[in-house]
Amino acid sequence: MRGSLVQLFYKTPFENLLKHAEKVKLCAQMLLEAAEYYINGEVEKFDEMTEKVALLESSADQLKRNIRNHLPRGLLMPVEKFQFLEYLREQDKVLDKVEEALYWLSYRPPDLPKEIAEDLLDLVKGVVAPIEKLAQLTEEAWNYFRNGRERDRILVKKSVRDISQWENEADLLERELIKRIFQEVPEPLKAFHLIKLIGIIGQIADHAQNAGDRMRAMVAK
Amino acid sequence: MINIDTIILGIATLVGMYMAANIGANDLANAMGTSVGSRAITLKQAVLISVIANLLGAVLAGTHVTETLRKGIIDPNLLAGAPEKFMLGMFAALLAAGIWVHLATILAQPVSTSHSIVGAVVGFGAVSVGLGAIKWGKVTSIVLSWLVSPVCGGLVAGGMYILIKRKILQSRSPGEAAIRYAPFLVFLVFVVLTLSLIYKGLKNLHLDFSFWNAFALALVVGVIAAITSRYIFRCVDFESRECKFVIGEGGHLVTESLFAYLQILTACYVAFAHGANDVANAVGPLAAIFAVVKTKTVAAQVQVPLWMLAIGGIAVGGGLFAFGTRVMETIGKNITEITPVRGFCAEFGAATTILVCSRMGLPISTTHVLVGSVVGIGLVRGMEALDLRLVKNILISWFITLPFTMILAIIIYELMLHTFY
Repeated sequence: MRGSLVQLFYKTPFENLLKHAEKVKLCAQMLLEAAEYYINGEVEKFDEMTEKVALLESSADQLKRNIRNHLPRGLLMPVEKFQFLEYLREQDKVLDKVEEALYWLSYRPPDLPKEIAEDLLDLVKGVVAPIEKLAQLTEEAWNYFRNGRERDRILVKKSVRDISQWENEADLLERELIKRIFQEVPEPLKAFHLIKLIGIIGQIADHAQNAGDRMRAMVAK
Repeated sequence: MINIDTIILGIATLVGMYMAANIGANDLANAMGTSVGSRAITLKQAVLISVIANLLGAVLAGTHVTETLRKGIIDPNLLAGAPEKFMLGMFAALLAAGIWVHLATILAQPVSTSHSIVGAVVGFGAVSVGLGAIKWGKVTSIVLSWLVSPVCGGLVAGGMYILIKRKILQSRSPGEAAIRYAPFLVFLVFVVLTLSLIYKGLKNLHLDFSFWNAFALALVVGVIAAITSRYIFRCVDFESRECKFVIGEGGHLVTESLFAYLQILTACYVAFAHGANDVANAVGPLAAIFAVVKTKTVAAQVQVPLWMLAIGGIAVGGGLFAFGTRVMETIGKNITEITPVRGFCAEFGAATTILVCSRMGLPISTTHVLVGSVVGIGLVRGMEALDLRLVKNILISWFITLPFTMILAIIIYELMLHTFY
């Protein structure tokens, strides 16, 4: 309502940010399931899951645009607006990369060597944790910005550290896996497909870590 | 045959009530918005509280601003030779301000009723006896108070928010801390309220207390209220209450529902302060007209009759009831970020500032002070998102209100002057 005092109280953007984080969280399990289907050769189910992730990605995109479009000039927030938007971008990139990884998988029929397949699944599991943590991180940060309680800030910092640590672990897995592919997969086309795939999966964790770093900057004192 | 004076007074009273009703529809509805918006009180309760507390504020503490508007802006002695001009001028000012506020209410623009009436009185003063007749010192202090009062509201509200944040929201168990500190907040509200009432506020009851006597009495009242509230808060089971307030994610149920109770108190406080300050915008010029008609001179010393303040208070309440409920309904239905804690701080800061200003005879804008208070809370990081665009709107309405009401008052004044004399 124009001119009313209530106009001062703007809808908090954290609500939609959390919704966005929850969509990102949903995609983590989907990624794992899809990877399992692919490795087991259940191509139809894999395609179904990829479709679902694509739908989720577009609805998250819409949410992201909605958040961005409703942060007008003259809005006073407890955090810098650009930091908030950067966090949102990184959180959204996570979902983009999940989608990209699934698309990349779908470009070749599933014919992975068994051991490589297992390690690949481990890597996927390794990036699921940091993705899922983002929702918790967002919620903790919201609590902190709402009440300014130090203990919420400590929780945020801990979550950021966790994400960072998991990203490091995923990085290690990634490097080992690439090394093994060069040793054990002689076909260049197959190797190329796998190496690029692993790169994309690694980027998922990278973006989760970036998001965590942005959040850490937001709660910096 | 009906006396010509009676007709003049009747029409003047009607115009005064028209202005008062517009004040209720525009200003008071907005002032109650923070309480309705947080669901601390329902629409019906808001109407009831604001009508009663506003009337009390007008009758018990509303004389200072009335005096300012009656004789503070224009020196009445300069019009001693032509009392009818003074009367017509006040009439024109009242009508001009009423029309402007009415227009603003229709267009949903945030204008100040106080700015309108001051602009209108200055306007008629400028044409009737020239710019020299206007007490520029007083006008300057009024305009300065328009700048300073929102800042004061912001400081008090922001300070209160920091206090609540440190002592309650950030404590280990916010619920217990809230119950522990709530009586102190009640104490503060009652001390300021009692001070404004008795420290020469009750001019109409001819109670003349020295400042220290008044202060001591206020402390006593505050302590009694605090002890009573302490007892009440210990008895209420906040946790089992059905949650109807705006709490939001991460909010604390017990704390917020306790502050919803406190907000009932501050809602009364705001309505009282509004009555003390803003009812005068209608009653001030009306009192001037009555004084001229009764004495046939422009007398400097006239007692503002109690019934006039009462009529003003009732008309403001009527205006709120008739036109303001729609505004409040919209506020109540929309999901907003007004939580009881924020609402409490904003209302406390605003009402305290308004009462101090009306004690000093400064007609300030209730809405602007409330906006200042909310911004103050936002500046101490009390809100996740504060939309400052309204502040720009208010600044624009400032620059429009004063010239518009000045010119409108001049036009109405000249028209009437040429018609009747």
